[in-house]
Amino acid sequence: MITDNRMVQAENIIWRRIGDDVVIIKDDGLATHVLNKTAAYIWELCDGKRGIDEIAASLCERYDVSPEEARADARETIENLTKAGIIKYI
Amino acid sequence: MSGNNAYGRLLTAPVGIQEDAKQVVLTMKNEIHLRIGGIICSLRCRDAGDWKKLEKIERLYHGFLTQETGDITIELAGTDNFSPEELNTALAGNKFIHEENIFQSTSQAIAGQYDLNRGFIRITGERNLINPDMECNHLNMLLSLAYYTACKLKYDRPPAMIAHSCGIMRSGQALLFMGPSEAGKTTIARLCGKKDGEVINDEMLLISASPQDEKDFSVESGPFLGKFPSKRSLKAPLRSIFLLKKGSKTGIRRVDRSEAYLKLMRQIITPAYIGQKDKRAVLSLMSQFSDEVTRAVPVYELEFNLDGKSLWRTLGELD
Repeated sequence: MITDNRMVQAENIIWRRIGDDVVIIKDDGLATHVLNKTAAYIWELCDGKRGIDEIAASLCERYDVSPEEARADARETIENLTKAGIIKYI
Repeated sequence: MSGNNAYGRLLTAPVGIQEDAKQVVLTMKNEIHLRIGGIICSLRCRDAGDWKKLEKIERLYHGFLTQETGDITIELAGTDNFSPEELNTALAGNKFIHEENIFQSTSQAIAGQYDLNRGFIRITGERNLINPDMECNHLNMLLSLAYYTACKLKYDRPPAMIAHSCGIMRSGQALLFMGPSEAGKTTIARLCGKKDGEVINDEMLLISASPQDEKDFSVESGPFLGKFPSKRSLKAPLRSIFLLKKGSKTGIRRVDRSEAYLKLMRQIITPAYIGQKDKRAVLSLMSQFSDEVTRAVPVYELEFNLDGKSLWRTLGELD
């Protein structure tokens, strides 16, 4: 369930920027996730200070995308990252 | 730590411990010193019954023996509670529980105590841990643990990481072939004729950044057993890494950085050390190392049909 709460990166992971991607590894050393450029950008915005609206606004500033599209993309990405257990709501 | 007067000294077995073994006992040692990269690891057995194993290890690891005193000493007090099969199973899912300077494994196969200020670890564990004849080689695991523990004491972070890989020295440079068990590392070593190169080791190797330039990586042999263990100490600049994939033909493709980074990470022997509590720090070390290596050298996927001719021809096209 997506709300307008702020998101933060999970603590039980390590992550690294490899080229344009962000590679995330859970600290069990087994589960890995590779985020493409846009997902990586959203991921980096999950700093505990922003909610979906702020993230969508940042996407609009950075990419040539409408506010509606940015919000939908942010919402979908955050839903996926939450399901994967690599970000959480605070 | 119990009072052990023998600590820190090389002992020869007391003559006459067994009347019928006198001739052997006179020359047998209860301790050997092995060089693993920049670390010297002393391996000591308390029970005379295990000294013959040390003698065998000494012969196998001849190229890595040294007279220098160890950065770390592992002393084994051997037990015989597990069959070889039971030991393999027990160690496969093994985890260590630490409490102050004591550790024990969830498998009950290993327990021990340590005094890291003195670089000393006493292990009460199965004798087969140091048996070089075991199919599943626990000795490599034990030496990796000793190496990383000594690195933590001496350097804080390991100057070289140990990786599952087959190394071939070719034109003065090292090619590394990586992949899980059965991926073909030993087959590549077997297919390596004199004109193709020299096998460094088909199981485990040390990889390190040059102290002068962190973008230059080297591969070094170590006292690790495999089907083609290193006979001598070799070090060569790392040229490229090949991730093995069995296929119907032989061919290579350059893999992207993210894939290379993740796959290399899986082949690094986790730099876990005795007394370690921060698992994330260990994972971060592997992550940083994998990132640096894959940034510095090209990584290819090598689809391989187990045919030597096409293998060397394909690799030759890269030369």
